[in-house]
Amino acid sequence: MVKTALRNLLAHRMRLFTTGLAVVLGVAFIAGTLVLTDTITKTFDDLFTDAYADTDAMVRAEASFEDPNGFGDLRGRLDASLVDQVADVEGVAVASGDVWGFAQVVDKDGEPVGNPGAGPPTLGANWPESELNTWTLVDGTAPKGERDVVLDKGVADDAGYTVGDQATVLVRGAPLDVTVTGIARIGGADSPGGATFTMFTTEAAQRYVGEVGKFDSISIAADEGVSQRELVDRLEAVVPAGVEAVTGATVTDESQDAMREGLSFFNTFMLVFALVALLVGGFIIFNTFFITVAQRTRENALLRAIGASRRQVLGAVLLEALGIGLVASALGLVAGIPLAAGLKALLAGFGFPIPAGGVVLATSSAVIAFSAGVIVTLVAALSPSRKAAKVPPVAAMRDVAVGSTGYGSRQRIYVGVAVLAFGVVALLYGLFGDPGNALAIVGLGVLLVFFGVSVLGRTVALPLSRIIGLPLPHLRGISGHLARENAMRNPKRTAITASALMIGVGLVTFITIFAASTKASFSNTVDRAFTGDFVVTAGGGMVGVSPEFTNQVNELPEVETAGGVRAGLAEIDGDSEQLLGVTPEALDIFDVDPVAGSPDDLDATSIAVMEDVADDKGLSIGDPVPVEFTATGTQNMTLALIYDRNPGVENEWLVDTDAFAANYPDQVDVQVFVKKAADVPASVALAAVERVAENYPGTDVLDQSEYKEEQMGVVDQMLGLVYALLALAILIALLGIGNTLALSIVERTRELGVLRAVGMTRAQLRSTIRWESVIIAVQGALLGLVIGVFFGWALVTALQDEGLNTFTVPILSLVVVVVLAALAGIVAAVLPARRAAKLDVLRAVVTE
Amino acid sequence: MATRVDQLERHAALAVAAAATVGAVKVYGVGDTAVRALDDVTMVFEAGRFTAIMGPSGSGKSTLLHCTAGLDSLTEGKAFIGETDLSTLDDTALTVLRREHVGFVFQAFNLVPTLTAEENITLPLALAGRKGDREWIHEVADTLGLSKRLRHRPSEMSGGEQQRVAVARALATRPQIIFADEPTGNLDSRAGAEVLRFMRQAVDDLAQTIVMVTHDPVAASYADRVVFLADGRIVDEMFDPTAERVLDRMKRFGD
Repeated sequence: MVKTALRNLLAHRMRLFTTGLAVVLGVAFIAGTLVLTDTITKTFDDLFTDAYADTDAMVRAEASFEDPNGFGDLRGRLDASLVDQVADVEGVAVASGDVWGFAQVVDKDGEPVGNPGAGPPTLGANWPESELNTWTLVDGTAPKGERDVVLDKGVADDAGYTVGDQATVLVRGAPLDVTVTGIARIGGADSPGGATFTMFTTEAAQRYVGEVGKFDSISIAADEGVSQRELVDRLEAVVPAGVEAVTGATVTDESQDAMREGLSFFNTFMLVFALVALLVGGFIIFNTFFITVAQRTRENALLRAIGASRRQVLGAVLLEALGIGLVASALGLVAGIPLAAGLKALLAGFGFPIPAGGVVLATSSAVIAFSAGVIVTLVAALSPSRKAAKVPPVAAMRDVAVGSTGYGSRQRIYVGVAVLAFGVVALLYGLFGDPGNALAIVGLGVLLVFFGVSVLGRTVALPLSRIIGLPLPHLRGISGHLARENAMRNPKRTAITASALMIGVGLVTFITIFAASTKASFSNTVDRAFTGDFVVTAGGGMVGVSPEFTNQVNELPEVETAGGVRAGLAEIDGDSEQLLGVTPEALDIFDVDPVAGSPDDLDATSIAVMEDVADDKGLSIGDPVPVEFTATGTQNMTLALIYDRNPGVENEWLVDTDAFAANYPDQVDVQVFVKKAADVPASVALAAVERVAENYPGTDVLDQSEYKEEQMGVVDQMLGLVYALLALAILIALLGIGNTLALSIVERTRELGVLRAVGMTRAQLRSTIRWESVIIAVQGALLGLVIGVFFGWALVTALQDEGLNTFTVPILSLVVVVVLAALAGIVAAVLPARRAAKLDVLRAVVTE
Repeated sequence: MATRVDQLERHAALAVAAAATVGAVKVYGVGDTAVRALDDVTMVFEAGRFTAIMGPSGSGKSTLLHCTAGLDSLTEGKAFIGETDLSTLDDTALTVLRREHVGFVFQAFNLVPTLTAEENITLPLALAGRKGDREWIHEVADTLGLSKRLRHRPSEMSGGEQQRVAVARALATRPQIIFADEPTGNLDSRAGAEVLRFMRQAVDDLAQTIVMVTHDPVAASYADRVVFLADGRIVDEMFDPTAERVLDRMKRFGD
């Protein structure tokens, strides 16, 4: 039987190729994603290992709370005096205070380098004057004066600075003129992980990016013969409460873990698309085996007649699947490596640069990708194999009609409805029921909905093909008529083929609706709440600008009011949250729609919350809310305002700027709302604001519609990326359509021969196949559309409380999706149609 | 060669050929394995006549039919439908010629399973984008006893009915010539006789031209003329055949 299976594989190379390709692409996608993550992980692991190579211990504030974005713990700062105290501990060779903060280099054209909102951070730090410095100067000297800086070689090259140049650096949202005294590399890299570094003297670093008289941490090298553990034990004995000492190894591990955690979202995100691609591939494998098993009925019956057991026939088909699975998965694994580079380029193209070089594929990743491919292939082939094994030996003697399955039994309909219903319930429960593992439940629901519809697809395929093909006989005459009949003749086959495309189109539709609704909701909110004329953002609304800018704008005679919004992180009532600091002026311009309390009641010790959060937590005005800040510890604040409209995008809490200033060392406005004076034309006011903004690199002055566009730019960015990632699943589905058509043509050889003999031209034959393909594609697209609209509706409704107040179905986009699907159907049919047209008429007619 | 074409042209002018071959040679394969399926066959199928081609297996009778009908091409020599030299036509022109001027009845699997009987009958017309002569088509269907079966699909019809639909399709375009390749090969004798009777009727009443390949002496007896082939050559012909005479002639091939 092994021989039979192998021979079958070799005898049908073309089929092997297309079926295999579906698996190859799916596995390559998984492997590519894993290669990318492995490579990033390795890059950062090495980086942190290098960076902390000489650090035997570190003293730092105990963790306040975790960064809500998943990048480790947030901590307060230490008093500078602690350095001397630590240096006196026995066994400490060097103790060196570290300063960390934000600084962004501005290039010679006045543009800030890097995009810390979407890419690696832009950091400011102190140049360590000790052997703990792991940087290597490649040119120039260490900073001496207050305005001297050393730049990492990556950013120096990008910005075009060399030693001795006067440069501009943004610190706390304002430009600072500095002199570049040195350029340095670290651990063999120009720019560690793509992050940019601006390094000052310790005093300057404290002044510009940190806090005067404070350090973020103290790095320590031990005396010869003192172990990290011993050192930490001795340090622990002297540090004050709220401060901890840890080994260098711990710091390295923590940094690596934090990076991995931060990457895990990205990894999951990409893997979801890879799994979708593989799922679609599974549908195609199932369909191919299903068709070929039917076509080989007589062959299998013959095997049974001459003494092969059912188990042997089953084994032979499964073995064939295993062969395809093994070969295709191996190829996919290999293809994953160049694909990783492609994905990296794709992500960079959509504005998400990935800082990693080289290629790393962990053994575990290879095993995961490879086995996923093999398992999907085997599972998909299971049911067709069982069907093959059920062929009675007597079928060898009969002329079995090929591919004449029914429209789906009643039982099948029940199963389909049950699976679909279960999927819908799981989806809705996951979205609305607020369970712990909502994501997994929603994912299961989505999967079951797809499966349910594909099972029911066999029942609806017949009427659906009939309806979709309705105009064809009128448009394309007999070719169209035959195309329609062909699409209807085997509803199961049409349904499964269409299902593969349905998945891709369903997800595209869903994401399109979700994006459109998000934009419409935001636009709606701005329309209702924003009474100003301009919004100034800095660094894409992520980086911020000095409040000095806001003050200058406020003083312009052309401007009535300008109010800034600041953003920080805090642990509020037990959860890590983003907290906005809002000036009273900003609240005048942006109407947050108070539900209870008043914006006027906000002071240095009070806080405001979105209505849905207040409802969830059962908070009312006057209730105490504990808020932990890294700088000032836990503060008991009072709830003074409950509001309905969010002046930011993701945040649900806000405080007055007095409270913000009291608890955060840095004051930077991430957005500035501007209302012009009533009697000044908009263009004049705009020009005045822009003149001020010129002195603040990275700021953008936007009118209301530009502001909406800018804030929702990330939605378009994500949408583009998701489309690109779903494209592979759709491509695989198209391969599937081509494959089904090719297999059907083999079955219909004789019939095609008759058609050609009695006068069908090659062009007409190609047209028939093309339009059959279009019917299948449009069918998949329509089913996907319905599912996608449902998914979109469900998610938008579930997120109503989060500010998604508008459910929008972008009709035009969805029409485009269907038209594109039809065009894709034409493309998918090109090769099979060409092959069919080349059929030798005579051979086809007389084929026995 | 040239002189033979001249001869034929003179001959054709006299005999009103519906189709003809001149020096037809068909070789399958190359080198040592080459088989000469047709070896210099010159033959005229006169209009308005029912011609049967007979011969033992491998005599080249089906090859002759396929090459004359424009389903296959000759290695040497020429084939004509009416006055059209088939070797001058590309695939599309040949297809159009088959559609407009040639009717086909094959041994089996004649019909497109997804089309009804009526759609199958009008298939060549539909492929040409024409409606055709509705009255004529109904007349043909009536004559062949198919009027009540027009809305049925092939899978709902008996083998005899299916072959009658094939005959009706061949007649629908009023072609210059109909080629039938073992049209009764898959039928029982009663159904076969019925189909043959209709073919005969088409020649007598409708002035059709039919060329039929068969190995059945009874089927051949419906023809006006029987041409015998052996080893790719014409070895004999017989006019107004009876089943007994054909059988006797066939027996001699065994010698």
